[in-house]
Amino acid sequence: MISLFKAVRLLAAADVEFVIVGGVAVRSHGSGYLTQDLDICYSRTRSNLEKLAEALRPLNPRPRGFPDELPFIWDWTTLQNGTNFTFKTSLCDIDLLGEVAGIGDYTKVLANSSEMDFDGFKARILSINGLIIAKETAGREKDKAGLQELYALRAAIENGLDQ
Amino acid sequence: MKRTPEEKLLNPRPGSKIAEAAEFGIDLTLLVENLKKSPAQRIKDNDAAINDLVEFEAAVKRARQTTKEKVR
Repeated sequence: MISLFKAVRLLAAADVEFVIVGGVAVRSHGSGYLTQDLDICYSRTRSNLEKLAEALRPLNPRPRGFPDELPFIWDWTTLQNGTNFTFKTSLCDIDLLGEVAGIGDYTKVLANSSEMDFDGFKARILSINGLIIAKETAGREKDKAGLQELYALRAAIENGLDQ
Repeated sequence: MKRTPEEKLLNPRPGSKIAEAAEFGIDLTLLVENLKKSPAQRIKDNDAAINDLVEFEAAVKRARQTTKEKVR
């Protein structure tokens, strides 16, 4: 069973410094978009890499598309040796992004995020504006409907944009 | 007068971004329903829908396999 919700809760409980970006962020803002992976932008400090590696360890992360028969070492140094990763885990696919196209690294993504309450824990979500910038920068055909939803949500939610 | 998000989505002003989204094909009533839910519920609903789709996909695959075997 896929559970993006449990994955977010696990990261929040471990005090990992991260911002939810991508489909889960779009969905959190009220879109009807369905997604099966969790994309997060994470702080690349050593202490955060350690927390992130420990938090995800029970989910047995492995790179997606990596042959099952090959050994894979999971620890914070694995994360230190790259920036962007795509993992499959026992809860859901999780993508770790050191930076988001159109916005920048974790510090800039953090500045474009807000804290949301998830009925018992809090997590930071990339703002609607941030998501629009990221999707416009990516320029992917598959994002066109999602972008229209984000434009509509921004106009509906934010004051002074009823036009 | 200031309009609520729901009012804006259900009665978009002509030429607005919301009207544009409706013309594009976005079902604005779904956005209204989603905005009534908490962020946690929005993610939990996503999880439930994805799990249902995965189950449905597996059932279709099984049905295709059974049909193939019967044809043989």
